[in-house]
Amino acid sequence: MNEIDHDALELATTWFTAARAMTVAAGHIDPSREATAGLYGRAILGLNEETCLAAKTPEQVGTRTLLDCLASIAEMPRSMSAKLVTGIVLIAYADASMHPLEVRWTSSMASAAGLTESSFQACCVNARVIALMMVDPHEESHR
Amino acid sequence: MSDASGNFDFLTKYDDRVARLARQAERYVHTDPDSCLFKLRLMVEVMARALVEMQLPHLVSGDLSTMLRGLQRSGLLQRKEADGMHAIRREGNAAVHGEVATTPVAMRRLRDAYRLGAWYCRMIRRGSKVNLPGFEPPSPPPGTDAQSQVRLRAEMLEAAIEARRTRARDALMLFADSENIDAEAARLRGELEALERVAVAAGEPVIDADLVALVMAMDVEQILEEPAWGRTAEEAKVEAEAQFNLVKMAFEEAESGYRIERAKIVDAMHVQHPPTGERDTSE
Repeated sequence: MNEIDHDALELATTWFTAARAMTVAAGHIDPSREATAGLYGRAILGLNEETCLAAKTPEQVGTRTLLDCLASIAEMPRSMSAKLVTGIVLIAYADASMHPLEVRWTSSMASAAGLTESSFQACCVNARVIALMMVDPHEESHR
Repeated sequence: MSDASGNFDFLTKYDDRVARLARQAERYVHTDPDSCLFKLRLMVEVMARALVEMQLPHLVSGDLSTMLRGLQRSGLLQRKEADGMHAIRREGNAAVHGEVATTPVAMRRLRDAYRLGAWYCRMIRRGSKVNLPGFEPPSPPPGTDAQSQVRLRAEMLEAAIEARRTRARDALMLFADSENIDAEAARLRGELEALERVAVAAGEPVIDADLVALVMAMDVEQILEEPAWGRTAEEAKVEAEAQFNLVKMAFEEAESGYRIERAKIVDAMHVQHPPTGERDTSE
């Protein structure tokens, strides 16, 4: 196994924690949301397979609270935290619905990232654009 | 090992058509893996359609992929079963479109179909107790050397393909199979609810999610129509497309390598045991 970059692992762990929270906030775990989150992590956040797997071990994501996640987002460069916010808005677009806890989580993340209203709107626009091109990873990972 | 019958007999009293397709697939697993995969794909389609007719009639005219995704979203089809059904769908499609298949591939999917058959029985008759004795791989016909070098190579290749695909899938999914997903979801949900209580206690309004979603959608529509934002959106699209394509190409590259290797093995098998008979794609 290759050595995993510490910063990439931190990013992946924060991403999967944030994305899990967004998925759970909808009330049930929709596979389309799960898949969207994974593909976004690989393609847009640039996480490699090994890092994604390592982030999902009990020692990483299993011990991370949502407050830890928000703290990590607050410490990231703005461009990266904006990508994470874009990603979780994208997860909401995946099943075209929005639940109160999803709104709260999005708002908490945007605050932690220090986004202005216009930069948050940019995240929503980017999420919308990406939502239109997302593919089913069940097909993409196996074909 | 048993002869090529018996594994799917339990299905007959639940759905005769599904049982018949499964038995046909079982019969072809050694002699014609392509036909075996074709039959299994049909079996999965019949099962999916039956469930969709019962639970999601608006999807009944959809293709198999659409039906499976609908069943997944509705929570009827859990992750393990979905993986098995998608695997059969993919291999069946590949066989129909002329990609070469080997007996080890067909045997793996036959084993999946056995497990899915039991699940299907429980789904169409709630409360059914389906006690399976365990899958018995059908015996190869006389004269087949199941331990030949080519056959072992094929087995190893399929094992490598499965391992790679599982790894790619595990990297993509939010939760690992080994996790207690319900417990983890409950933990996160508890934390989200605590965040909500803190926000409300701090004087933030209780959220009307439908209204927020509507406002967000309207905002986005307006922003997308704004020339300056439109340019940004277009740039984002081009950039995102390029990034998604990179991931897609990496998946494709790995699959293409396997397909080439598989084709070589099938050629070597044909040298040892020339194929006989026409492919049967009837029911």
